[in-house]
Amino acid sequence: MAILEEPIKEPVNVKNYIGGDWTESKGKLQDVVNPADGKVIARVPISTADELGDAVLAAKDAFPDWRRTTPLARSRLLFRLKELMEKNFEEVSRIQSQEHGKCIDESRGETRRGIENVEVACGIPTLMQGYCSEDVASGIDEWTLPTPLGVFGIIGPFNFPWMIPLWSAPYAVATGNCVIIKPSSEVPISQMRLAELVEEAGFPPGVWNVVNGGTSVVGAMLDHHEIRGITFVGSTPTGKDVVYRRCGETGKRVIAQCGAKNFMTIMPDCDVDRTISAMMTSFFGNTGQRCLAAANAVIVGDDGFYKPFVDKVIERAAAIKIGYGLDESVQMGPLRDKQKKDKVCRYIELGVKEGAKLRLDGRNFAVSRDYPDICFLGPTIFEGVQPNMRIGSEEIFGPVMSILRAKNLDQAIQMSNASPFGNGHSIFTNDGKSAREFQYNIESGNVGINVGITAPVAFFPFSGMKDSFFGVLHTQGREAVRFFTESKVVIQRWF
Amino acid sequence: MRLHTSSEVMTFCKKMEHDSANYYTNVAQQFRPDAETLLTLVKENTEHITQIERAYYGVITDAIEGCFAFDVDPVDFAFEETPAKGISFKEAVEAAIDMEERIARFYQGAGEQSRGLMADVSRVFTLIAKKRRRRISNIQLLLSGLNPR
Repeated sequence: MAILEEPIKEPVNVKNYIGGDWTESKGKLQDVVNPADGKVIARVPISTADELGDAVLAAKDAFPDWRRTTPLARSRLLFRLKELMEKNFEEVSRIQSQEHGKCIDESRGETRRGIENVEVACGIPTLMQGYCSEDVASGIDEWTLPTPLGVFGIIGPFNFPWMIPLWSAPYAVATGNCVIIKPSSEVPISQMRLAELVEEAGFPPGVWNVVNGGTSVVGAMLDHHEIRGITFVGSTPTGKDVVYRRCGETGKRVIAQCGAKNFMTIMPDCDVDRTISAMMTSFFGNTGQRCLAAANAVIVGDDGFYKPFVDKVIERAAAIKIGYGLDESVQMGPLRDKQKKDKVCRYIELGVKEGAKLRLDGRNFAVSRDYPDICFLGPTIFEGVQPNMRIGSEEIFGPVMSILRAKNLDQAIQMSNASPFGNGHSIFTNDGKSAREFQYNIESGNVGINVGITAPVAFFPFSGMKDSFFGVLHTQGREAVRFFTESKVVIQRWF
Repeated sequence: MRLHTSSEVMTFCKKMEHDSANYYTNVAQQFRPDAETLLTLVKENTEHITQIERAYYGVITDAIEGCFAFDVDPVDFAFEETPAKGISFKEAVEAAIDMEERIARFYQGAGEQSRGLMADVSRVFTLIAKKRRRRISNIQLLLSGLNPR
């Protein structure tokens, strides 16, 4: 199979999009590197706090008119944006593979998931309706008016450069707010392309802004008194101790979707072949760099089930083809950068020191074709992992599977619930009672039953519990609409 | 090299549809009285590509097993897109039937492999497998009206 054509052929100068203008930043430039071949594909500015301030002013100026634009008219712009996204589907998917490294199937999946959020937000004329009661007291009627708040900040992570800002932004603008998106400086090109499509769709200047940068832009966003709320996806330490805390101090609404350590419980009555296919995607898809990736496989059952099952898992994982995501035959791309690979390698060393049995060592994998071995790492599988080991309890964010054993379903659920995280636990079984027990007792915001990546579709909230989520309402669907609106209650009496 | 990812299977489907369309176009040029029937098949092939692409691009998400959905050996489904030189009409039709059987077998197998993982794609594959089998009967009819050429 051939390598698909790269849409980025020369390094792109990433710009900020503020008030409908593409502006050069005064901040210093940083290289964006394709992790598969090590080539520079873009230069991204590390913008200043003042530039963030300019974007806030632009958004604030745009807000009154945008709020007055009818929901139907706002939805028509979103329909136009959706059409442009479809038209450019393949290009934006390939950009993701170039800037992030993920396989083309994964990139296309990410593109689709992003578009789905725009599709759901297109329903804003009905999604945003309030409710009404006649005669709450004699002659008095009462109703709610969901109203937009103003300017919101959206802070994106590196692992889904296109999709994750789209969990929030379409709902924010559909409800009449203006947004400032700060993409990850490691992968800023998808969001620049998205902003170009937003501009082409005809959104008024200032409604949708993009400011590239790092911690200084994030800090300025969190502190700015004109920003009414923040959505954030990233690590638990940053989400909890920085974003959630500072939003509390400055009176902002917040959705902070954070880290995870997801447990996949495998019952002996599962459909073995399909479960293993799902495991490959869940543990090794996106090279393990997703907050819904399974990390711990808890296998229930005696040796008669356990041993052949694990052997099959190892056989399948060992056959995974690693290489550049634009090579259609590749099943796992590189990690995003060398630092991330080094961190995962340190965890592999740690697992060995902790006494877990290294059954498959990803450090020994061959990369397809002639790519520099900078960010590539193969699937790694440990057996004999205990829940108190660091490899069994900390988020590794790489292609590492830790196998634990449980005597029965209750013990598997206890192990999962002992984790401080609660993002996306799953069970594989053919028994309805086990599935229900699991669903009922598991402490996880997203629960998978024979589904390895528990990613809710756009019209359901992307949930999360415990140390995986800080806030009240979630991104996506109706909860996002509530997050981006304030309920004004009108009580009416006529004399 | 076996095919495992959805993307490479989609590319393979498109290649098969294009190659089989080329075959019919070539045969139609050689045997003009039956060109209309054969060119209808070419049009159908284009429709198959649209159907497959719609299903794939509509259903692909980051949450399903897109990179692990298939295990296909393309060698099992190889065929010649250019009819052999000096081929008779009967031989061309027989080769077409053989080609259609291979393609139908591919779609049937790929549909079964992806059933639990990518349901919409699987459904389209199974549907095209059925259409291909129906097509074989129609192609066989060409032989019944065979004139010596």
